[in-house]
Amino acid sequence: MHGPISEVIQFIDLNAYTITFLFIVGFIGGLVSGFIGSGGAFVLTPGMMSLGVPGTVAVASNMCHKFPKALVGSIKRYKYGQVDIKLGLIMGVFAEIGVQVGIMLQKHILDKWGQAGSNLYVSIVFVMVLVIVGSFVMRDAVKMKQAGNESAPGTSLAKRLQQIELWPMVTLKTANLRISIWFLLPVAIATGMLAATIAVGGFIGVPGLMYIIGATSIVASATELVIAFVMGLGGTLIWAYYGMVDIRLVMIILAGSLFGVQLGAIGTTYVKDYMIKYVMATIMLIVAVSRFFAIPKYLNQLHLISLADNLENIMTKLSFAIMCFALLVGASIILASLFKARSQEKAAAVTS
Amino acid sequence: MQTPKGIVPAMHNETAAFPQDPQDHNQIDRQLLLERQKDRPFILVVTRNGHLSEHVMEYAVNVAHRLQYGILAVHVDTLPLFHDRGKRSKLFAAAMRESEALFNRKAHNKEVVVEHLGETGKIGGVVSRLCHAKKRIEFVVVDKGIRVQEVARQSPVPVFPVITTQSGQCSKTIVHNPKEKGVFAMSTTSRKRHVKNCFLFGALTSGLYAAVFVNQDAVMTYFTKGGAFALLPVATVFAVSYFHGNFTSAFWSALGIEASKKTAAQRVEADQPVKEGVVAPRPDARPRLQVNV
Repeated sequence: MHGPISEVIQFIDLNAYTITFLFIVGFIGGLVSGFIGSGGAFVLTPGMMSLGVPGTVAVASNMCHKFPKALVGSIKRYKYGQVDIKLGLIMGVFAEIGVQVGIMLQKHILDKWGQAGSNLYVSIVFVMVLVIVGSFVMRDAVKMKQAGNESAPGTSLAKRLQQIELWPMVTLKTANLRISIWFLLPVAIATGMLAATIAVGGFIGVPGLMYIIGATSIVASATELVIAFVMGLGGTLIWAYYGMVDIRLVMIILAGSLFGVQLGAIGTTYVKDYMIKYVMATIMLIVAVSRFFAIPKYLNQLHLISLADNLENIMTKLSFAIMCFALLVGASIILASLFKARSQEKAAAVTS
Repeated sequence: MQTPKGIVPAMHNETAAFPQDPQDHNQIDRQLLLERQKDRPFILVVTRNGHLSEHVMEYAVNVAHRLQYGILAVHVDTLPLFHDRGKRSKLFAAAMRESEALFNRKAHNKEVVVEHLGETGKIGGVVSRLCHAKKRIEFVVVDKGIRVQEVARQSPVPVFPVITTQSGQCSKTIVHNPKEKGVFAMSTTSRKRHVKNCFLFGALTSGLYAAVFVNQDAVMTYFTKGGAFALLPVATVFAVSYFHGNFTSAFWSALGIEASKKTAAQRVEADQPVKEGVVAPRPDARPRLQVNV
């Protein structure tokens, strides 16, 4: 692409339905992001597209709403002492490289197999990553809950990696660990690649920080917000350079999501460590199911299978509905545990 | 303990951090240590703030651990009759409880005994009174905000301030960011202030939104031009995140939904408890007379 190409883009007219939809999805997405460090974005892009927003504008506006949200969330969680800024910035810069690699890969697939092939690739990556990582995180969360553990003991892999003295080493005070940059690199690049592919890098970033780097889930999810900020700002500058950002959509989503992100961040101070993993894994697994229903459509478009039109339609709608459901489930777990813990704390304060 | 007329000691609670623990010590070690504790000398740590500075705590704990002393930590409320319907005193007491919890945790890790005391009145007077009432106070450590001369004039034992450099432990003291909400920072942030902030930032946010949406056409024309105009949407969302971010933060606080208070008090580094080496009795190697019959 050379220079601004805005003249070909159609921006939609806003109405009450559009505004309400974006505000509510923004709020719920923000709530989940504030809590687990990412999420919400995966519903917004298809959501905006279903409102008639062109794909590129939807992606650009989504990206542009992501970084201010991450900024507000990380500042809030920094106040609670949960953010490792150094780790976040290092990872963010490397993740930016991952984003570029991811975009190149996408372009390559687009050239080779066309739009449907690219969509199929995205969906398969979605399902694989979400199922593998999601079930691993879920297993860990259940184990921790059963053991009644409050803080993650740190996986054996992370401990082993931390012992390897490979120049240059970084000491991360908040995360309370010392590790070689060489081990941060693959996690960051994978985060960036996933962010470029499915718009939610955190599904790799947070588990990577927990199981490979060895941070607790509270620190990992808070630090992911810094990574999302760096990646989002970089991405937004590029999209805005091409004039793709619809500031009105961004501002409406932000109006809702900043309410959510504050509440999500407050929620992390009440819950135990495993709760973050639990919410994250739940969302990941439900989203995986949703994307699974999207695959037949692309297979059909590639003429690999034949599917009736109405069945394809139903599956597409079902896929989107399940995605919204994932977000709703996550948000309800967060709100329920926040208010439950709050009332317990109040009751304890009254009795003492 | 005598108190000046009209001034009542705020509270007196003694918490021995050490004896509550540990499974690792067997009964004999425990008894030995308890006996040693009985006539153990004390370090008097004095603060006039709600929260004792962390570096003072750490210094006191380290010295007490090395010298096998106990610590007597005193929070002195210098303005007990402050005219705010008891709000300051209440905050002071709450802050003191948090500070005590933190101190106990730190002391517990090094197995140092800490007693806590809440006092009111002038610092010099309190120190002098305590030194006379409680024997075996070896020296006094004062927190920031207390003039050493003021205490030294009335203290029968030496008085030390704990001064830190910018690059040194000072960074640890700013853990209690005064901007932090809640009682942890002894802040007087009230719901009223949140409501005020909520309205202020709410108005600013609405202004910003109104400006963008009223001039929608012009905004969309310029903001999507691309090139250097890319800075316009980015700058706008930064402004939104500042105004709307502050508004939403104040909004939840005004509704009373704030971070858990426990989290702040629990934020203590997870030091491993230092095991006190129990010295084995020296073998009696004196020559003995043996008689074989």
